[in-house]
Amino acid sequence: MKFFIDNLPIIFPYDRIYPEQYAYMCDLKRTLDATGHCVLEMPSGTGKTVSLLSLIVSYQQFFPTKRKLIYCSRTVPEIEKALTELKRLMEYRIECSDTEEEKDKEKNFIGLGLTSRKNLCINPEVAKEKKGKVVDARCRDLTNSSACEKGRANPGSVELCDWHETLGKGEPGQLIPPGIWTLADVLQFGRDKGVCPYFAVRRMMPFVDIVIYSFHYLLDPKVAQQVSKEMSKDAIVVFDEAHNIDNVCIESLSIDLTRPMMDAAGRSVAKLADKIEEIKTTDVAKLQDEYAKLVEGLQSSISDDTDTDGFMGNPLLPDDLLHEAIPGNIRKAEHFVAFLKRFVEYIKTRMRVLHVVAETPLSFLQHLKDITYIERRPLRFCAERLQSLIRTLELTRLDDYASLQKVASFATLVATYEKGFLLILEPFETDNATVPNPVFHFTCLDPSLAIKPVFERFSSVVITSGTISPLDMYPKMLQFTPVVQETYPMTLTRNAFLPLVITRGSDQVAISSRFEVRNDPAVVRNFGSILIEYTKIVPDGIVAFFPSYLYMESIVAAWNDMGILNEVWKHKLIFVETPDANETSIALENYRRACDNGRGAVLLSVARGKVSEGIDFDHNYGRAVIMFGVPYQYTESRILKARLEYLRDAYRIRESEFLGFDAMRNAAQCVGRVLRGKTDWGLMIFADKRFARADKRAKLPRWINQYITETASNLSTDMAITLSKLFMRTISQNPNENQTGISLWTLEDIEKAQAKQKEFALDTERQQNDDDDGDYGDGGLSDNALMDFDLDV
Amino acid sequence: MPTTVCTAKASCKKLPGLLELTDTHLQWTQDGKKAPSIRVAYAEAASLFCSKEGAAQVRLKVSLVGDDTGHNFTFTAPPPTAGSEREVFKQELTMIISRNRSMAGHIPTPIAPLIIPSNSLPISAASTPGGTTPGGAAPRPAATALRPSISRATSVATERRGTPVIAGTDPASEFRLRKKVLMSNPELLTLHRDLVMTGQITEAEFWDGREHLILSEAASESQKKGKSGQLVDPRPEAVEGGEIKIRITPQLVHDIFDEYPIVAKAYGDNVPNKLSEEQFWKRYFQSKLFNAHRASIRSSAAQHVVKEDPIFDKYLERDDDELEPRRPRNEHVEVFVDLAATLEDHDEIGNEKDVTMRAGRQKAALPLIRKFNEHSERLLNSALGEVPPAKRRRLDHGDDNPYSQIDIDDLHDAESSAGIILDMQDRQRYFEGRMTNGNQESAEPKVDPATVIRETKASLQNWESRMFQLKIERKAGDAALISMTQNVATRLDVKSKKNEIPDGLFRQMTTCQTAANEFLRQFWLATYPPLGDFETSASPTPAQRAIKAAKMISYISKTEEKVHALVQTAANHGIDPTRVEIAMKPVVNASNQALSFYRKKKP
Repeated sequence: MKFFIDNLPIIFPYDRIYPEQYAYMCDLKRTLDATGHCVLEMPSGTGKTVSLLSLIVSYQQFFPTKRKLIYCSRTVPEIEKALTELKRLMEYRIECSDTEEEKDKEKNFIGLGLTSRKNLCINPEVAKEKKGKVVDARCRDLTNSSACEKGRANPGSVELCDWHETLGKGEPGQLIPPGIWTLADVLQFGRDKGVCPYFAVRRMMPFVDIVIYSFHYLLDPKVAQQVSKEMSKDAIVVFDEAHNIDNVCIESLSIDLTRPMMDAAGRSVAKLADKIEEIKTTDVAKLQDEYAKLVEGLQSSISDDTDTDGFMGNPLLPDDLLHEAIPGNIRKAEHFVAFLKRFVEYIKTRMRVLHVVAETPLSFLQHLKDITYIERRPLRFCAERLQSLIRTLELTRLDDYASLQKVASFATLVATYEKGFLLILEPFETDNATVPNPVFHFTCLDPSLAIKPVFERFSSVVITSGTISPLDMYPKMLQFTPVVQETYPMTLTRNAFLPLVITRGSDQVAISSRFEVRNDPAVVRNFGSILIEYTKIVPDGIVAFFPSYLYMESIVAAWNDMGILNEVWKHKLIFVETPDANETSIALENYRRACDNGRGAVLLSVARGKVSEGIDFDHNYGRAVIMFGVPYQYTESRILKARLEYLRDAYRIRESEFLGFDAMRNAAQCVGRVLRGKTDWGLMIFADKRFARADKRAKLPRWINQYITETASNLSTDMAITLSKLFMRTISQNPNENQTGISLWTLEDIEKAQAKQKEFALDTERQQNDDDDGDYGDGGLSDNALMDFDLDV
Repeated sequence: MPTTVCTAKASCKKLPGLLELTDTHLQWTQDGKKAPSIRVAYAEAASLFCSKEGAAQVRLKVSLVGDDTGHNFTFTAPPPTAGSEREVFKQELTMIISRNRSMAGHIPTPIAPLIIPSNSLPISAASTPGGTTPGGAAPRPAATALRPSISRATSVATERRGTPVIAGTDPASEFRLRKKVLMSNPELLTLHRDLVMTGQITEAEFWDGREHLILSEAASESQKKGKSGQLVDPRPEAVEGGEIKIRITPQLVHDIFDEYPIVAKAYGDNVPNKLSEEQFWKRYFQSKLFNAHRASIRSSAAQHVVKEDPIFDKYLERDDDELEPRRPRNEHVEVFVDLAATLEDHDEIGNEKDVTMRAGRQKAALPLIRKFNEHSERLLNSALGEVPPAKRRRLDHGDDNPYSQIDIDDLHDAESSAGIILDMQDRQRYFEGRMTNGNQESAEPKVDPATVIRETKASLQNWESRMFQLKIERKAGDAALISMTQNVATRLDVKSKKNEIPDGLFRQMTTCQTAANEFLRQFWLATYPPLGDFETSASPTPAQRAIKAAKMISYISKTEEKVHALVQTAANHGIDPTRVEIAMKPVVNASNQALSFYRKKKP
C-alpha cells in the first residue's frame, strides 16, 4: 500500500497496516525531520523492522540528500532477517513504481550486510578453520598489501587468495551490482563470480545506501575505526533490538587478562625481539623508515592504511592525539619491545597476589609508575605502536599475537580513561576454590562512554526494541536527550496472548528461583510439574527459560532423577541448550522440525543465553513460553557490584531498581519472542512468586503488562492450567470479528485517522481563536460540532 | 469342495459336532446338520489357547481378529486320541496364526465369518427387522452371542448400501469399531442395549446416520503411532536379598541396541563366542557402561559401587562433558537459527561471564543434556527419515517463498487476489457501448440538496411540542415486568424445590425419552434421507424407506402410551404427575408431530 505521512510518500509492502506501525512511522519521521535521537518501544511481533525500513527507505528515496542508513542489530540471524525484510521491501517498491525512471531509482538502491571473515570466507583452505581469529589471521596473510605486492610482482613467490585477487580487478563501487544482498546472497555471488564476499562488501561500504551489521561494528572502537570511519555525519543510525545496548557498550571497553594470556604475551614479546634482531641484520632501512614516520605523528603512519592491513584498531584515541608524535621512549622498535616486556612482567607480578584487589585506573597507573617507571603517555600509544611494529616486521599468523594485542589494548585503555572504569583482580575463580586462577578484569562501568562518539557524530540515532521499558532508563544510562520517546500499546481485537503469573504449585508451596530456595525439592518439583502440565495441554512447541546456565543444568539433572522428564518425554521431545553454539543450533533446528511435524517439543534454554537472543519462536515454534524464576544477574559478581555502585553514584539509579529493570527486560525479551503478527497466539508463563509484586510487573513493557489481569497475577499451577485451557479453546476458534479498522488498518483507515488528526489540530487551533473572539452567547452549535456530526448516508 | 486337512469330533457350546480344518477355513458342523455352523477363515484366526496336557477335558480355543471371545471346542474323542487330534489342529493353526500375524496390517482380510444355521440367507436379515435374532439352532447364552450375528447382517447391509467405510469392506473390523465406539460412549451403549438388543430396531438402522463415529474411530485407529518418546531406562526391580532383577524382553533388547549402538557392537563381538546371551546381559547391567548410559547424577554417584569388567570397560567412551561435543557436528544450519555465526561475528570482547552464566560448568549434566538432544533427534529421524539439513524446509508455509519466515500473514488482504483477467474480444467496443448506454441511463433521480434540506427542515418543525405529545403505553411495560417477575419466581421455585423423582422413575423417563428420540431420528431419516452425501445406487430405495418409516411410526405411536404409563407410575409413587407430564411433553409433542405428518402424507 502507498500512503502519505505529511507529504512524504510511504510504500509499505503489505495491504494492511497495524495502527501501532503507523504511529511508529510517524514518530520515526518526526525524529528524522528534527535530526535528533529517539527511543521507541514497539510490541514484539508487530512488524517493527518492516515499518522502520519502509519509512527510512521512503525517506531516503524521497529527499535528494540521500542520507545513508546504518542499521545495527544484535545477532547474525537478526541481521539476515533484516536484510531479507529489506530485500522484499525493495522488490515491492520496484513493483509499485509507476515510471521507468522511478523503477531505475529503486533498482539502483544498494543494501548490504557485513559480518566477519569467518562467516563470509569462501576460500576453502581458510574457511575450514574453526576459530574466527585464525580465519582472520590467515586471511590477512593472504591479502595484506605487502604480500600482494610481492605476489603480484613475482607470481608464485607468496601465496595469495584467488578470490581476493579476482576482486581486485573490479572497479570499486561496482564490485557488487546494485540491489539488496543478504549474507547468503553475497556468499552465493562470491562463489559464482569467484570473488571474495568479505572484501566486496567492505569495499562497497562507501557506496551503499543501507548497511546492516552488528552493534559491535559501530560501538567497539577497535572495530569501528576500521569499518565505520567513512560513514558520513548525516547518516541515520538505528539500533534495533537495543534493549541490551548498554551491555554491548560496556563489553566493548572491557578487557580480561588471565595468566595463560600473559604467558602467551610474554612469548610474543620474545618473538618480536628475535624478529627485530633478524630484521636489523637484513633490512635495517625498514626500521629506520618506520621511526621517521612515527616522529611525524601517528596519523601519517596510519594514513596509508587499507582494509586488508588493518587488524586491530586502537581502542579509542581522540583525533588530536593521532597527530601527535609517538613518545620518544617507545619510538625505537627495540625500546618498545623492552617496554612491553616490562609491562607484561608487571602484570604477571600483580597476578601473584592471593587476595582480591579493586582499584581505579589512576591508582593502577601510579603503582605502575612507582614500580616500573612506565609513564602514562607512552602507555596510551601502546596499541598503535604495536600495530605499526607488526606491520613493519611483516609478521604472519597474527593469531599467535592475539594475547599481546589484548595487553596493548588494555594498556591504551587504562591510560586513556580515568573515570567510569575499575580494575579488579580476582585470584580465585570462586569463593571456595583453592587453586588460584587469577583474572585481571579491566571493566567499564559507564555505558555512555562507548556510545558517546556515535551520538556526537551522527545526527539521528534511533534506539528501538520490543522491550525497552522503562523508557527513561536508557537516556539516563547512555547520556543523551531524545526528541521522541514513545511506547506503543498493542491493539488487539481479541487477546492473542495470555500472560500468567504462577506463584505457587498445586500444593500451595511458593515457587521462586531465589537463591535460598531454588534447589529446594518442593520448588524443583513444582517447577517440574508446571512443565509436565503444560506439555500435556499445549500443542507443538514450548520454550522454557531458566535464569542461568548453572541453574538449568542442575535442574535438568534433578528433573531426570525425579522422573519428571520421563513424564515430559511421554508428550513431547526434549531439546536443551548446550555450551556449544553449533550443537545448540542443530538442536534448535530439530526442535523446529518436531514442531512442524506435530510431534511437539520442549526447548530448555537460558535467559540472556545464546538462544534467548535473536531466535524467534513464532506460531507453532512457541505456543507457550515458561519463564522459570526471575532472571536476575548473579549479584555476588564483583563486576556487577562495581557497576551498581557506579550507577548509583553517577546517575542516581538505585541498585535494586537497576537489578529489577535488568531482570524484567530479559524476562520480557524471552516471552516476547512468541508472537509474530496478531493472529499468532501464545501463552506467557511467569513462574516465580516475585513476579506477583506490582513493582516488578510495572517494569514489564506496557503491552505485556496491560494484559496481566489482577487474577492472573497470583495463580497456583492448577488454576493457571485451567485458565490456559480456556484461553486455548477460545483462541483456537476462528475469529469472527473483523480486525480491520481496529487492530488492522486499510488505506482508508489511515486516511481517516489522518483526517481526524488534522481536524483535531484544527480544532485546538480554532479553540484558541474562539477564546480570542469572545463568545456569542447564543449556545448554538459550533461549526466544528456540525463537522463532527456523522450523517448516515 | 475344499480339501480337508484334518478332522476331529468336537463339541462346541455343548453341542456335539465335527471340527474340520480345510485348506481355507476352520469349520464346525453340528451333528445332523449339513452346512457348517461355524466357519473361520484362516486370515481371521488371531490366537490359539489350549487346555493343559492331562486336563480332564481336551479343549482348544480359537479367538478371532477383533473378537477375543472366539470359539471353544472340546474334543470328544477318548482322551489319548483327543490329545493327539488336538495336537494336529494345534500345529496347523499355529502356523496359520503366525502367518496371519506377520501379515497383519498389510492386507485387509477378506472374511466370511460364522454362518448362522437357521438363516441361510444372511443378506435378507438386514431388511427384515427382528428377524435377525437367530433361531434355536445356535443357543444364545447371552447377548454377546447375538451381537456378532447382527453385526454381520448389518455390515452386509451397509456394504450393499455402499456406505464408504474407511476400515474397508471388512465386516469384522467394522464390528470391532462399533464395539469400540459403544464402549467409549456409555450413553450410546445404553441406547444400543435398549433398542437394538431388544430388537426394536436393527443394528443397521441404529448406525445409520452415525457413520461418522465409526469413521472417526477408524481414522484414529489407522493413524500410525510414532515411537514412544521415553528414554530406554531399564528400571531394576528390587528382589529380596539385596539383589536386583531386570526383565529383559526382546523389545528392551531392541531398544537398547537402537539407542546405544555400542551395546549392539559389544553383543556382536562377544555373543556367543565369549559370553552366553545370559551372561552378556548380566554383565552389561553390572558394568560401568550401563551406568554411563543411564547417565543421571544419581547413577554417577553409584558408579563407584560398580564392578570392573574387562569386557565392557573396553567399550566405555569418554564422558561427553566437554564444552564442545565429543563428536563435532559440522553440518550447515539454516542461517535464521545459526547461533555460531553470531559468536563468530566479532571478536570476543568484554569481561567473562559470571560463574552462573558460564555454560557447561555442571559437568555431570552435560552428557545427560547431549543424550536428550540425540535421543530426540533420533526419534525425529525415525519418524521423518534422515533428511540432509539443506533439504529440510518449513512444512506449513509455501516452501518456495523465501520470505515465509518473516511474513506477517494477517497484514495481507485476504480478499484481494490478482484475479484472472478476462480476455475479451473487442474489449474497446464493449466498453464504448457500455459508456454510451450508461450515459443514457444515468438519469437516475438526482437528489437536489436544497429540496432535501427544505424537507428535513419542514419535518423538524415543531419537534418540541410533538415530543411532549409522545406517550408510551403503560400496559405493555407493566406486562413485560410482570412476566419477568413471574419468570424469576418460577425459577426460584424450581431451584428451591428438591428433585424428588426417585432414581428408578427418572431413569425410566430418560430411557423413554432417548428411545423416542432415536425412533424419531430414524423416522425423519427415512422420510428425508440425507442429501448429496452417499447418493449412490446402493441407497435404500423409496420402498425400503417407506417400510422403515412405517415401522418407526408404529414405535413412535406408542410413545404417548409409554409416557402415560410413566405418569401413572409417578402418581403411584406419590409424585405430582403433572411434573412428569411437563417433562415429557416435548417428546410427546415431537412424536405427535411426526404422527400427524405421517398421516397427512399417507392419506
